[in-house]
Amino acid sequence: MQIFLPIADVPVDLFVLLILGAAVGFLSGVFGIGGGFLMTPLLILLGIPAAVAVATEANQIAASSFSGVLAHLKRRSVDFKMGNILVVGGLLGSAVGVEVFRIIKSYGQIELFVSLCYILFLGSIGTLMFLESLSTIQKSRKSENTFKQKKKHNWIHGLPFKTKFKSSNLYISAIPPVIIGFIIGILASIMGVGGGFILIPAMIYILGMPTKVVIGTSLYQIMFITAFTTFMHATQNKTVDLLLALILIVGGVLGAQLGARVTVKLKAEEIRILLAIIVLLVCLKLALDLMITPNDLFSITYGNGS
Amino acid sequence: MRALIFAIIFIFSTSPFSLSSVISDIDKSNIELSTRFDGTSILVFGAISPENDSTSLLIEIIGPSTSVNIRKKVQIWGIWINKKIAHFQDIPSFYQISISNPEHPILKKIENKKLKSLFYDFLEINSTPKDDNVVEQYYDELTRLKKKLGKLSAFEEQINIINKKLFSHKVNLPNKIHPGLYKIKITLIDQQGTELSKSEQSVKVSKVGIQEFLSYNSENNPVFYGLFSVIIALFLGFSAAQLFRWLYR
Repeated sequence: MQIFLPIADVPVDLFVLLILGAAVGFLSGVFGIGGGFLMTPLLILLGIPAAVAVATEANQIAASSFSGVLAHLKRRSVDFKMGNILVVGGLLGSAVGVEVFRIIKSYGQIELFVSLCYILFLGSIGTLMFLESLSTIQKSRKSENTFKQKKKHNWIHGLPFKTKFKSSNLYISAIPPVIIGFIIGILASIMGVGGGFILIPAMIYILGMPTKVVIGTSLYQIMFITAFTTFMHATQNKTVDLLLALILIVGGVLGAQLGARVTVKLKAEEIRILLAIIVLLVCLKLALDLMITPNDLFSITYGNGS
Repeated sequence: MRALIFAIIFIFSTSPFSLSSVISDIDKSNIELSTRFDGTSILVFGAISPENDSTSLLIEIIGPSTSVNIRKKVQIWGIWINKKIAHFQDIPSFYQISISNPEHPILKKIENKKLKSLFYDFLEINSTPKDDNVVEQYYDELTRLKKKLGKLSAFEEQINIINKKLFSHKVNLPNKIHPGLYKIKITLIDQQGTELSKSEQSVKVSKVGIQEFLSYNSENNPVFYGLFSVIIALFLGFSAAQLFRWLYR
């Protein structure tokens, strides 16, 4: 069934969108990832303008992360103080990111910019994931998995503005969380991702937060940042397609619930390799689209901009 | 509508016209762009008088004006990058012209004149000085791209003429059209292209429902729209959490 998206200004098949939303939602349920970094490029490949894909995906993530935060609030696994400091950095990052986005858009190069960011991003993440899973598989054949967590004294402890984080049982400077939050804000606003895959390792390895509060706190920050990013894109760029967001939210919720409850017969490392391959394929497709000589060199756009 | 056609036949068969004339009507005066809109067609019909072979009927449909940019992909460091090369200020977003007699002696001349006055006169290009070959190329690209999108057609569809008196013509509109007023001009011309008589109609194309609500507010009330989008998303996130907690209690 075809529907016309009001802001994206393109006709799309409703079922294709629902299935896409459910498929990415399913993957996030299985892997415990947000899915924004897959959904945004897939929307672009589907013909949705990049600017709309990014802003709308931020809106979808606001919904899914809120849903996740509620579950963590019940379990008391959110460090509010840390979360709020991350949010402060994130709001700044998002405001800067949306402004950069607006400027590049006014030059008519936002499609290219978003594509390049994704190629870089998916390429490195996919490769890292692929290599790491491979080595884990090899290691697990020899011995038990040894996970070392760096703790206590590193360079973080030399910074000023130290403060106590009760829930995380930490006494560290507020500067690193602000910077980390800032980077996540930039990523959310120019790529339409939650940024959990960067935020979570940063919280564990750089800030040294205990794993029990990491997921809840990251969802808490992501919810505020994506909600703010949605608002900023709506007011600065007018690129939030609420109808598209609604379809993706519905599809995503169903898929994620299914994904979280399905018992996957594959081993964790095998699943990760699978995800790495998906990520690399999407990256390859985006790169090819930029490099292959287009069928039609000319195109038209409407309006007085570029 | 059938009654109207009979009325037209009746009028034209009983009253002798001394002057050449044309009367017309259309099957709809409103088109609603809903989320389900997937293209539509407008039926233009009417009668002409006198019935002779030397006159031809022209039907034009002119959509609301928009500005159009022509972009060309250029290769930089192995990557294809879009570059804006030309701009047309306020040209019809949709244009179709059809004729009852495709053998009309000055068909090409009419086409060129129409396209020039509606499209080509509004070209603004980045590069100076204006090179005639380059300008020609932009015209060709505009025409080709618009045709490809189904938004421009010149003498591709033929008008049906019944008994040299009645005519009917179906105009197909693609699924992506600009809202606004679509003018329909029906003109009777002679062999030299001189206008003998004309009749005008218009169709109002407007967004409705969710389509109208979202695109209007996104454009005109961005603060409200942004807050609304966030609230809806949070509400759905909350509902989903509640729903599944209840389901898997």
